[in-house]
Amino acid sequence: MANKRFDVTHVPGAATIAIVTFLALYIPVLILVVNAFNGSDTAGRWEGLSLRWFAAALDNAAFRSAAVNSVIVALAAALLSTCLATAVALAVTRGRQIKGQGSIVIIVNQPLLVPEIVFGIALMVVLAQVKQVTGYQGLGYLIAAHTTFCIPFAFLPIRARLAGMDLTLETASMDLYAGRFYTFRRVTLPLLLPGILTGFMLAFVISLDNVVVSSLVKSPGQETLPTYLMGELRRNLTSEIYAISALLLFASISIVAASWVITRTKQ
Amino acid sequence: MLDIRSLSKKFGSGDSAFQALKSIDITIEEGEFFTLLGPSGCGKTTLLRLIAGFEQPSGGQLVLDGKDIATIPPNHRPVNTVFQSYALFPHMTVAQNVAFGLEARGTNPAEIAPRVDEILEIVQMAHLRDRKSSQMSGGQQQRVALARALAPRPRILLLDEPLSALDLKLRKQMQFELKRLQRELGLTFIFVTHDQDEALTMSDRIAVMDGGTLQQVADPRTLYDHPANRFVAEFIGEANFLSGTVAGGKLSLSGQAPVPLPHGADASGPVTVMIRPEQVVVGSAGGNAVTLDGQIEALVFSGTDTHVTLRLENGDTLSLRAPNNSHATTTFAEGEPLRVALPVDALRLLPEDIANAA
Ligand SMILES: Nc1ncnc2c1ncn2[C@@H]1O[C@H](COP(=O)(O)OP(=O)(O)OP(=O)(O)O)[C@@H](O)[C@H]1O
Ligand SMILES: [Mg+2]
Repeated sequence: MANKRFDVTHVPGAATIAIVTFLALYIPVLILVVNAFNGSDTAGRWEGLSLRWFAAALDNAAFRSAAVNSVIVALAAALLSTCLATAVALAVTRGRQIKGQGSIVIIVNQPLLVPEIVFGIALMVVLAQVKQVTGYQGLGYLIAAHTTFCIPFAFLPIRARLAGMDLTLETASMDLYAGRFYTFRRVTLPLLLPGILTGFMLAFVISLDNVVVSSLVKSPGQETLPTYLMGELRRNLTSEIYAISALLLFASISIVAASWVITRTKQ
Repeated sequence: MLDIRSLSKKFGSGDSAFQALKSIDITIEEGEFFTLLGPSGCGKTTLLRLIAGFEQPSGGQLVLDGKDIATIPPNHRPVNTVFQSYALFPHMTVAQNVAFGLEARGTNPAEIAPRVDEILEIVQMAHLRDRKSSQMSGGQQQRVALARALAPRPRILLLDEPLSALDLKLRKQMQFELKRLQRELGLTFIFVTHDQDEALTMSDRIAVMDGGTLQQVADPRTLYDHPANRFVAEFIGEANFLSGTVAGGKLSLSGQAPVPLPHGADASGPVTVMIRPEQVVVGSAGGNAVTLDGQIEALVFSGTDTHVTLRLENGDTLSLRAPNNSHATTTFAEGEPLRVALPVDALRLLPEDIANAA
């Protein structure tokens, strides 16, 4: 009987559709990466492998400053959003059962519900005033904005991990003379760590890649990698842009891969 | 040593309130193997959690060594628990699990390692001290959970159905080892089970519970020989119940000639009479006995005994165990008549009101 069960892999054409979709998604990215290694002066004409555009990018002060900004914002936003997400997840799953717990989850996930462009414009309007009043033009605004929309991404894996955790472990710890804080430090936190790390990496990648909110919130002259790329694109499509895009891609992939490896070994 | 005084526990409030424990009174002695026995949902775990401090009582007191501990948080009670699910910390090794309570309590670090070694030796887990707790069999996890709870030298060890996840053979072995350990350490155990055999073989005393109330607290022999009511009689071992009347100090059963009351019994009016199947004698018995006639309804051979179900003349059924050491049982056949005798001193008079409620 088992071999008569419906199995999507046996539907005629399913495999073909899967392969075509896969290629359609990844071939453009592959083309971009190949172009980043193009030795030619003009983008689009192949003249053999070279790392010259990577060198050019690294030599470019504007790129370097945008990259540094991106990393600072992503690190700070990931750190803040992970801490907040951990606190909220603990409150929702461990705290006393209070009314409105569901609404806390909705508020935390608000950035997933509000369209990014709406959120960005709203922030832009408010922050324009704040900037005028305070005179502060630094990265703080970007960090705050990124923290907000990173929280749901950090929250997801942490909450999943908490929900799957056996509550008796914490009871057992209390039974064995541990207070609340000691229990958190030696039992809850270590068991939660893979979730927190995954949340952090996810938040980092999400922040690193953001265009819409960043371009609306950033102060004049401030660039993150994606906003810098968007600006450059408007002028000219150069092989340097390919190289920078490739770098961004490698960064994202390595972070996701690292988080995967860490959570695998932590199990 | 531990005085449980009119302890009660109510979950929830208003319409959804549920009275899980109703005014429980028990005194548990130093060094005792004390068992809480009862059907599922009768409140055994709740009582244990109150003693451990995971729940707050709705009323009553818990007096340990003269001090009311009912409001003290679990981490300040000298009481440790072996959980049914073991609840070993999966990110720690066996030795780290066992050391946890000592470390959390702030024991001098120089004393921790020797104590961990000692206790792992006692539960025969020293060879696995560096294993992660997730990489062990159920029986091994059981031993580690025991070691972890014993390491900080609690005044009382609480065990919530610790053996229920083990297979029969391992369970028998662990029953034996737990009992030996308890004797050697002279430690007070409060053990929860819903397995009456386990309770009878291991305990010094047993508290039988039902529906959040205490039915009887006694040693195993007394529980079996002198159950306080029909619930206890049925829950522990097998029992036959017959209705009778007491008048003028004499008991009449199923319309038979009145016989003197069993030794020590005192009642009048309608009573429920209990007799264990193995006390029923085939044929007639010497001394005071009630003789009953019936028809054999079912026969089950079980090696040493033949289990007979007898249909009495008044329609009641009576089960009995006829030993196979004589040839008498070979002549038994279903549908044949059989005369049995109930020795008066094997009869137990149970209070009628509870019998009706059950
Ligand atoms: N937190 C709670 N809230 C509401 N009711 C509860 C709670 N904990 C237990 N109860 C109820 O109290 C009763 C006793 O539960 P308890 O767990 O003590 O039973 P038990 O004797 O240990 O049963 P088992 O043998 O199945 O483990 C049950 O009816 C249960 O539904
Ligand atoms: Mg229970």
